[in-house]
Amino acid sequence: MNIQQFQEALFTKGREIGYVDMEIYYVNGRSTSVKVLKGEIDQYTIVENGGLSFRGVINGKMGYASTEKLEPDVIEFLLEEARSNADILESEEQDELFEGSESYPEQPAYAGELADTAPEILIEAALEMERTALAADPRIVMARHCSVSTRENEVLIVNTKGLHCHRRKSLATAYVYVIATEHDETVTGGWHDYSLRSVEDINIADVAQKAVTEAVSKLGAHTIQSDNYPVIFRHDAAAQLMAAYTTVFSAESVDKGFSRLAGKLGQKVANTKLTLVDDPLMEHVPAGSTFDAEGSATRRNEIIKDGELLTYFHNRKTARKAGVQSTSNASKGGYNGKIGVSYHNLYVAPGSSTLEDMIRKMDRGLMIVELQGLHAGTNTASGNFSLACLGYWIEQGKVVRAVNQITVSGNFFDVLQQIEEVGNDLRFTGNCTSPSLKLASLSISGS
Amino acid sequence: MIHPIQIQDMLQAALETGGDFAEVFFEDRTNGQLGMTGGVVDTALSGRDFGIGIRIMKEHFSVYAYTSDMSEQSLIRLAKSAAKAIRGGGGPGTQTITLHPHAIPNHHPIAIIPDGSQKCAKIDMMRRAHEAASQYDPSITQTSIGISNSIQNVLIANSNGLLVEDTRTYTRMRISAIATDGEHRQSGFRGPGAYAGTEFLENLNIEENARHAARIATTMVKAGYAPSGRLPVVIENGFGGVLFHEACGHGLESTAVAHGTSVFANKIGQQVASPLVTAIDDGTIPNAWGSLNIDDEGAPTQRNVLIENGILKGYLIDRMGSRQMGVPATGSGRRQSYKFAPASRMNNTFIANGASTREEIIANTEYGIYAKSLGGGSVNTSTSEFNFAVEEAYMIRNGKIAEPVKGATLIGKGIETLQNIDMVGNNLDHSQGMCGSVSGSLPVNCGQPTIRVSEMTVGGRKGE
Repeated sequence: MNIQQFQEALFTKGREIGYVDMEIYYVNGRSTSVKVLKGEIDQYTIVENGGLSFRGVINGKMGYASTEKLEPDVIEFLLEEARSNADILESEEQDELFEGSESYPEQPAYAGELADTAPEILIEAALEMERTALAADPRIVMARHCSVSTRENEVLIVNTKGLHCHRRKSLATAYVYVIATEHDETVTGGWHDYSLRSVEDINIADVAQKAVTEAVSKLGAHTIQSDNYPVIFRHDAAAQLMAAYTTVFSAESVDKGFSRLAGKLGQKVANTKLTLVDDPLMEHVPAGSTFDAEGSATRRNEIIKDGELLTYFHNRKTARKAGVQSTSNASKGGYNGKIGVSYHNLYVAPGSSTLEDMIRKMDRGLMIVELQGLHAGTNTASGNFSLACLGYWIEQGKVVRAVNQITVSGNFFDVLQQIEEVGNDLRFTGNCTSPSLKLASLSISGS
Repeated sequence: MIHPIQIQDMLQAALETGGDFAEVFFEDRTNGQLGMTGGVVDTALSGRDFGIGIRIMKEHFSVYAYTSDMSEQSLIRLAKSAAKAIRGGGGPGTQTITLHPHAIPNHHPIAIIPDGSQKCAKIDMMRRAHEAASQYDPSITQTSIGISNSIQNVLIANSNGLLVEDTRTYTRMRISAIATDGEHRQSGFRGPGAYAGTEFLENLNIEENARHAARIATTMVKAGYAPSGRLPVVIENGFGGVLFHEACGHGLESTAVAHGTSVFANKIGQQVASPLVTAIDDGTIPNAWGSLNIDDEGAPTQRNVLIENGILKGYLIDRMGSRQMGVPATGSGRRQSYKFAPASRMNNTFIANGASTREEIIANTEYGIYAKSLGGGSVNTSTSEFNFAVEEAYMIRNGKIAEPVKGATLIGKGIETLQNIDMVGNNLDHSQGMCGSVSGSLPVNCGQPTIRVSEMTVGGRKGE
């Protein structure tokens, strides 16, 4: 059964049993991934997969159910489960289906031929990446993970109010993670890059070289004494930290009492050097999008401008409750989740300092390049964090040596206020991005 | 679920290009999820996951492919396209596959199979948790409660003729409480779960679990920051076992060991931990959260002694690890769903009982940290550097538990930390967690008695 036949049969049966309005959210994708190890293919993975989420209004309430099987025998499961789920919901704020925006922006994000890349091209790229990494430095003993993959996916939202949104995206990625050893010490480092158009656009040799530099520069690491130090979060660590706390900007978290930013609209929640933007309409980024999970046309939103909190992320329900316009940030945590709130392509607007300048101006301090255990060591309710990390010790404007076996602790809301400098090294690699950030002081635990 | 003849055809097609082993994993899974925020039911989701994964091996190389399109042509096409990735030729395989279905004994009886009719009863249970947590203390300002259940039907078949089916039933309750004290907010969490049906919830002391979550939030909102630096740490029983899970467990998986990249590689027979430490991974504990009748490669799970009195005895090995290392598999091949190739993973991992009582351990500690409830953690198996977060901690002064402290993250290196365990209690308990790794997110138990590590780096805050 194809998706159109399934949707028509579902809506017809739904109407018969009393559904007033109905919607499907359908995701489908295919991907090919090659992983190599020691000059041989280690793993080869082929995927063709999809899923569908149904929601519908019955007896005045909205119910949800989902399936990965698109055959006639699951239609009854979807309609019955959604009805019994609707029955028990107590929340007074009802979701409602959307008839669609007046117009939608255009965004070239799909290269039809990308997913049809010949397997030999993926294999050769992965082998070359491994060879380059192993040859780059005698201390590299293994490329623990070395993979190249392509994927494409589509999202389709159709409802009985006339909404019809469809989007296709494609992406190629190369990722390598190497192990370096010297004098019984073992360190690891990784790098990745992507292209929306073709595998051949990715500079494989550069990815390999960067992973090697990351790893070997960590050799010779040891801890430092526990104290408060000035800290630079390099762009990648800064993005990790920001991403761990993004739910505090969600109107849903604010409304439910989970976010400390409740009641702070219009206030200075960060240093004036900080501007935070969600821009799904940017071209050539992996997290671009022209409509959100409710079918609202997306737009560029400034969340924080010069330190001032301008808005939360809203979907249609949270916006209605707050008496504002949706910011088109409706999300779905996988096709099988309910409608929530999230960002698309969130980034800290770049400043003017280069990372080298930030280091040069630091008398004694730490540059953090990797944070670990973020799922457990960050508390979004309090903003507190205490995280294992890796970095480099800086003295008199120069990187002196690598540092390990330390933790960094502080509070995210204080960090926003304490940002002294914002770097110019923004590099879009995921859906939350930051340039390097310099802070006056953070607590480091070591020996 | 799927006809054996279809599977035979698929396996045959998979071996056409010279593969020496093929396996299919078929899954039909029903999920239910209910959620309540501040006492109001705001989430009710049902879902059906459905699909098939096929793996082909040739020596140490494997191909994995999956789809949820179960039409006959699609399955054969999938098998053939996966087979094309088998390199090194060797001519078309001539193996004739005959499947031998066999029933497996069920060690995990389910009394009440979860279904839609129990939604109202489950809402009552969530409301009880909300009431108990919110009445615990005036500082509790918000609660979030959830109940999730799933029934996973699996069929596993391979070119050796294996054909087995099993059903895994999971039930879990999640309780979060938030305490607020002016500007400060803290949260507390409990997440009891089992390989069981709705009877698990009926027998659960919901109020006690809710008060436990509320106590963590309330205590921590009033707490000052933990100190920094290297200190003795007493880690409480139950989920404290996540220390072993991160410091050692992941490093013993063949995924890490087979290529020699784990610090535990090539160390069988060597002293890798304090002689007080005996550690076991047991997939057979009846109805435990991390148990299985058969692993996701169709092999019966077993009790694997990993470390005995500090000596490394064994690893956790899946089928590919067995090929790479030339040793038998240990029933440890696991995957989240048909969307993942199996990998060696933990089931229920724990440190066995020692001789000390909790009271003795604390009384013998002059100054240190008492980590009463732990959060999650992570590890880099190549370097063995691990970390985990402490949800609820107190100072120990002069052999007594003193004031609460927050923000204590514990970090260390695997073997060094295991060798620094200098007291082991006699009060083994198990707790439930989700473990994320190469083959997805899986239910695992972490367990231990109360233990003491003579010195660990505590990531608190200097001068506060």
